[in-house]
Amino acid sequence: MTENNTGLPSFIRSWNQLYAIVMGSLAVEIILFYLLMRWLS
Amino acid sequence: MSIVDWSVLVLTLTGIVAYGIVRSRGSRSMDDYLLAGQSLPWYHVGLSVMATQASAITFLSAPGQGFTDGMRFVQFYFGLPLAMVVLSITFVPIFHRLKIFTAYEFLEDRFDTRVRTLTAGLFLLQRGLSTGLSIYAPAIILSTILGWNIYWTNLLMGGIVLLYTVTGGTKAISYTHLQQMAVVTFAMGLAGYLTVKMLPEGVGFVDALHVAGEAGRMNLIDLKFDPESRYNLWSGLIGGFFLQLSYFGTDQSQVGRYLTGQSIGQSRLGLLMNGLLKVPMQFLILLVGVLVFVFYQFNPAPTFFNKQETESLKNSRYASQYQLAEIKHQNLTTQRQRAVLDMQAALQTDDEAGQTAAGTILRETDEALKVVKTDVTKLIRQNNPAADTNDVNYIFLRFVLDYLPHGLIGLLIAVIFSASMGSIASAYNSLASTTVVDVYKRLINKAGSDADYLNASRWATIGWGIFCIAVAQFANQLGSMIEAVNILGSLFYGVILGVFVVAFYVKSIGGRATFWAAIISEVLVVISWILNLTAFLWLNAIGCLLVVSIAWVLQRTVFRDR
Repeated sequence: MTENNTGLPSFIRSWNQLYAIVMGSLAVEIILFYLLMRWLS
Repeated sequence: MSIVDWSVLVLTLTGIVAYGIVRSRGSRSMDDYLLAGQSLPWYHVGLSVMATQASAITFLSAPGQGFTDGMRFVQFYFGLPLAMVVLSITFVPIFHRLKIFTAYEFLEDRFDTRVRTLTAGLFLLQRGLSTGLSIYAPAIILSTILGWNIYWTNLLMGGIVLLYTVTGGTKAISYTHLQQMAVVTFAMGLAGYLTVKMLPEGVGFVDALHVAGEAGRMNLIDLKFDPESRYNLWSGLIGGFFLQLSYFGTDQSQVGRYLTGQSIGQSRLGLLMNGLLKVPMQFLILLVGVLVFVFYQFNPAPTFFNKQETESLKNSRYASQYQLAEIKHQNLTTQRQRAVLDMQAALQTDDEAGQTAAGTILRETDEALKVVKTDVTKLIRQNNPAADTNDVNYIFLRFVLDYLPHGLIGLLIAVIFSASMGSIASAYNSLASTTVVDVYKRLINKAGSDADYLNASRWATIGWGIFCIAVAQFANQLGSMIEAVNILGSLFYGVILGVFVVAFYVKSIGGRATFWAAIISEVLVVISWILNLTAFLWLNAIGCLLVVSIAWVLQRTVFRDR
């Protein structure tokens, strides 16, 4: 599915790792937004 | 606007256009003109994708949305990173390997010419009309607030873009997108910073966030699954995912952007960059609106931000009713200012009871102010049934003109133009490439030379530019057309997505079944809209579902042996 790793930045090992970073960032953002909301309300 | 603002506006726009034209000289083939010779690095792809999606309305309306409704709109974008991952895995490698110019070319490879032509036709109709409205929507706001002539504003908005899109093609679009995103980011950041600086002494950024939180504007996440609620975590993740997938996967204005990548990897990186940056970017734009809201807690806010309508109300037979509403508004504003100062004092002394009491007053006055605004909106409508009562679009620009320093006003007007130009340029380019590649080259002049097609692409861009500007001029006379074209988009988008879903994910279904399923689905979608069976936004999902299920049934019955 994501066998070809050419074109990736040197610090990323595979496309799957980059996809996980994108989805993980979303999860972190949602958690941070939730905590920010709780703190301010 | 002062002479300084005009200078900043003209210099910024001229600089962007000139840079785009100079950097894109030498487009000698159709591949160069429509796909920038597939030579662009990932950051060009990513910024171009972002600039295409962010229209002028994003920068006019989103801060207004933050002001009136808080931060919850950010949830609408939660599906986008997921869609970027799915596109990177499936759509991007297929589109690149087939070396196609448009998404619809792929449909001929997968099905047949009929499906390709039908889908391209639906796209041209929908995108042509909606681009006209992309020109008109910011132009009407600018012309109302700045007193500009709407026809000239439309012409300026659509004409500047035409200039560099025709001469430089996709390369010019991509280079100008870079400049546009830089201007937009800098100006919006500066506007947010100055808003905080203009708060009373002793009120910092964190205090502003607390005030916003107490007034219910930091409503970032809604965990409740409620189909009636427009923005919650689940509608953002699920609904947003399908919406973004259909937009980025089947709309040529976006497909044309990531097809310019040097390789599959560069296109993927561009899309994933968008997946990483879009949510924070939208968060910051909404936050500017929330900060403007806090600013108006300490300063007098107008009852209605679209001054033209309130001025007209003052001279109408509803003047006395409006005056009463104004007095009510002023009293409530004074009450609110007192509550905010109490809140500020309670925050500094860690007085929790004081914070709660002030917070309650703040929320109560906020609700009462909303009621006053609704009453004034009713009066405006009674006075002028054709009035633009969607005040959300006017809040940020009014604030900019009333409070920000000269120079920055010109820069922020340039932001609105830049954002508008970014999305319109991609639309012109996608309309031209679909016309030339899917219609002219495929059906009219199959044996033309590359020079013929390059020439045709330039003429198609000019033709569509004129068409879109004409739609914008026409929209000015038919206010209800905005809703009509939004409905038109929903009528077609779902069916187009359905065709692509079958193409990518249901390999057992062939061209004939898909073609007839698309026709039948389109008819059913139009009927359900005429009979008013559902809200038009749902037509996207219904259209997609209908194509997939009808194609599946047809393939197993009528077209079993084909």
